[in-house]
Amino acid sequence: MGFAFGYPLVQVVRESFYAGNFASPIWVGLDNYKGVIADPEFHTSLLNNLKLLVAVPVMLGLGLLIALVLNDRIRGGRQYQAIVFLPYVLPATAIGIAFSFLLQQNGVLNTALRSAHLGVLAQDWLGNAHLAIVSVGGLVVWQQLGFGVVVFTAALLALPPETAEAARIDGAGWWALQRRVLIPQIRPIIELLTVIQVITVLTWVFNYVYVLTSGGPGYASSVMELYIWRSFSNGANGTAASVAVMLLGMASVLIGLSLWVRRRAVAT
Amino acid sequence: MARKHVLAALGAVLVLSAAIFASSAASKPAGVVADDPNNATLTYWYWGEDDAPGATNWIKKEAAAYQTAHPKVKIKIVIQSTDTLTSAFTTAAQTKSGPDIATQWATLPVLTPAWNGSSVAISDYVPASETKNWIGTSENLSGGKLWAMPQYLLGIPFVWNKAMFKKAGLNPNKGPKTWTELLADAKKLKAAGITPFGMGNKDGYGGAWFFSLIGKQNLNSIDELKAAMLGKAKFSDPKFSGYLQVLADFKKAGYLNSDVASISFPQGLQLFGQKKVAMSWVTDGNVTAAAKALGGAKAMGVGPIPKWGKGKLASSYDTTQSSSAFITSWSKHPKAAAQFLVFLHSQQAMKNWYAATGVFPADKRFPASLVTDPIAKQQLALDLSPVSVWPENFVPPQVDGNADLAAGELITSGSGSPADAVKLWERELAKWKAQHPDEFKNYTKWVSGG
Amino acid sequence: MGAAAGGGDVKRATGGRVVGLLAKHAFLVIICLAALYPLWFIVSTALKSNAAYQLNPTGFPTHPSFGALRSIVVDQPLPRWMLNSFLVTISSVAVSTLIALLAAYAIVFGSFRGHKIFLSTSVALMVVPPVTLLVPMFVFMVDRGWVNHLQSVIIFYSGLLVPFAIFFLTNFFRTVPHELIEAASVEGAGPFTVLRRVVMPLSGAAGFTLVVVQAIWVWNELLIALVFLQDESARTLMSGLAQFQGRYSTNQPLVLAGALVSIAPVVLLYLSGQRFFVRGLTAGIGK
Repeated sequence: MGFAFGYPLVQVVRESFYAGNFASPIWVGLDNYKGVIADPEFHTSLLNNLKLLVAVPVMLGLGLLIALVLNDRIRGGRQYQAIVFLPYVLPATAIGIAFSFLLQQNGVLNTALRSAHLGVLAQDWLGNAHLAIVSVGGLVVWQQLGFGVVVFTAALLALPPETAEAARIDGAGWWALQRRVLIPQIRPIIELLTVIQVITVLTWVFNYVYVLTSGGPGYASSVMELYIWRSFSNGANGTAASVAVMLLGMASVLIGLSLWVRRRAVAT
Repeated sequence: MARKHVLAALGAVLVLSAAIFASSAASKPAGVVADDPNNATLTYWYWGEDDAPGATNWIKKEAAAYQTAHPKVKIKIVIQSTDTLTSAFTTAAQTKSGPDIATQWATLPVLTPAWNGSSVAISDYVPASETKNWIGTSENLSGGKLWAMPQYLLGIPFVWNKAMFKKAGLNPNKGPKTWTELLADAKKLKAAGITPFGMGNKDGYGGAWFFSLIGKQNLNSIDELKAAMLGKAKFSDPKFSGYLQVLADFKKAGYLNSDVASISFPQGLQLFGQKKVAMSWVTDGNVTAAAKALGGAKAMGVGPIPKWGKGKLASSYDTTQSSSAFITSWSKHPKAAAQFLVFLHSQQAMKNWYAATGVFPADKRFPASLVTDPIAKQQLALDLSPVSVWPENFVPPQVDGNADLAAGELITSGSGSPADAVKLWERELAKWKAQHPDEFKNYTKWVSGG
Repeated sequence: MGAAAGGGDVKRATGGRVVGLLAKHAFLVIICLAALYPLWFIVSTALKSNAAYQLNPTGFPTHPSFGALRSIVVDQPLPRWMLNSFLVTISSVAVSTLIALLAAYAIVFGSFRGHKIFLSTSVALMVVPPVTLLVPMFVFMVDRGWVNHLQSVIIFYSGLLVPFAIFFLTNFFRTVPHELIEAASVEGAGPFTVLRRVVMPLSGAAGFTLVVVQAIWVWNELLIALVFLQDESARTLMSGLAQFQGRYSTNQPLVLAGALVSIAPVVLLYLSGQRFFVRGLTAGIGK
């Protein structure tokens, strides 16, 4: 563990001060950082990671709703849960490729929309600069949804039945019961999962972007991981390293947050 | 579950992984292997199918034939993809390991690895008596040496669908000669409910073609573009960047296929043959494929790219060897690799190539008498135009990927104005200079005749 | 009562409840269809010829063609990539599990100082973005000539997996009664004997869960495989598949046949051990 993390974490900082290839690195001081900070493509990439944060409340909200419905011991609940969870374990690469075909301008989704006389909704999901990152977010939600469902279902199942029973006797409606009694009890889990998913969309979406849009059109759907990878593929290792250091800085904040939230979740 | 079995399984797995380590360590050659041209294992990173449908099958057959003739030579053909052709090799070059023979597009993509020591000069391994027959060698010269072997001669003609022209009330036998005529034709085609022009630009190559075919037309010589790459001329000068406005207007008028931004470039090349669009520009190889699908010269017209600019290059054609093959500096068998590459220029291999792809080999020894099809004759005449240049070849690969491709994507996706795209070009040129001081120095030296 | 809203006696339920119940089912069915459709698209497309797909991309494959699947297995190095993926997955999971087993044992039952800090470090490292380690690891592997050899990614993956595995096993070991360990120690058993005789027999299900979760992660990983394994014969399934997408963008059935082959092992594993997945992932979250 020390090797897999310690060595590269030190090295990456060192490399961020050099340019050129590995064989003959050239000391450039802070130039890599200056270049990145002034680069609008980096801004776009960072901004896209932030835009993807919107996916977190969507997937967790929808996941919570599904979990609450399943919690009513609905017939076939286990089967429903198994199906909803399935996308989570599939390779994002394979799924992303399928979506890249489905979402083309004249792909399956738009053809279906047009034949249902919903042509207005048929958009250029991958080719439109504003929508490309939305499509990436949609794919993230599609795949991560089941994770929330499973975690929430388990949390709900572990709750003592007495409080819900008492609320029902008081005549609380379905929605009031969920909102006032059940959701507050699993709040620590919701917080923890939020932090985990925030970390995911900020640092672990390379697969989705790479196969769905490759960051295009232009740089419209690029994210920080892709920016690092792209710089690296161009042989601009110093630039890649400097972005990695910045990403690490941002991640540390989240890591601190996650430790704190986790402690609270475990304590309750 | 028997717990002991878990332990046993873990142990077995450890042994297995140890075996993997050992085997990969053992596979390293012990000592230096002599470079015997007739006893070698060669890995060849090949690309060509998108230029010339049929190319992949051809190279596999040639490799098989060569192995039969040279039983101690083994050739592994690895097909490369368009969107990662350059980046895959750049990464391999950093590790100084990878193929023995690599394919890159001509000029800068070939010369950049040459300058950073990733390839060896092919003229050091193949005698001048052979290379003098190759066409287009000037594209890959640097420091007085030839760095790659041309395989084929690729022109990019303008094509139109005669039936669709007729339907729109246009003369099916007269394609547009100028950009103004093209716009007028497109207007009528659109009014008749036909998609006027087809291309794919999800990966940016559609826009890059616009740069190469239209963008060069205000230049008098390619040296002007080289100067702009080095920052001695401003890329924002409409002389260089005016094509972006043309593309933007074209898109805005609705003359492009609606899915231009979401389909890949290779998918776009097929639109014309699929009768989905009335006009396009495609490689010679795809002309041949489209002619088969549409029904030959009766069904489609072939001509030069419509004239837009006023520079001397406006009347130049756009033949290039497109992709070229070179030998890597880490190859242990450069002589064997060179011998195989020369074999690809043998009469039989060239005949097979032409039969498989309909694209002309880049070799003076190829008999023109083999070309009988009327469309092919037209293409050959165009390909042998006195002045021919493909400007994209003169853009440093990183700038090509980050600016040339991305700028076109900005326009076709409607997410950026031509002014934004110009800024992107300038920014990426500056970035290249800052990130690769060594490459910049080499480019400068090369421009001044080094 | 809990069952009144669903599953129970529908006849006795009021009209409103029936509507509510139907609405819930409709909602879940829509979600499930959305989850399954892309899979169906992959399967049905993989069974079409390219020509049939161009004509009708969404239709049922009435005349299934196995051409794409055969071509994937025969003409493409897919079997080799699959073997690589299996080797990489098995080795990485084995190495990380073994390391984590010893570390977690030491944390929970051992008496070394600073085990709390060690555990917190593990938890922190769980969320270090792998991409940030990419460039230095690449330089490291290049220096040793390990690029294009499976050990490069095996080492990297194992390292990335260890923190989660330690965290997971620590949580589990804490549920093992300390008395059992003490009793064994009193009888003179050393730590390795205790681990093997007492702790591991209790950890069967948890261990299996851990292995499955890690295996899925390794099998699906793309970025690292893409960078470290560039040689065609050294690729894993995912990095090979990503190349396919660009290489055969005009033959989507072929690409999706590749996707289908890469998904199949995961789906089979999932169907055979779904409860382990669920348990493993919820366990990774906390308690």
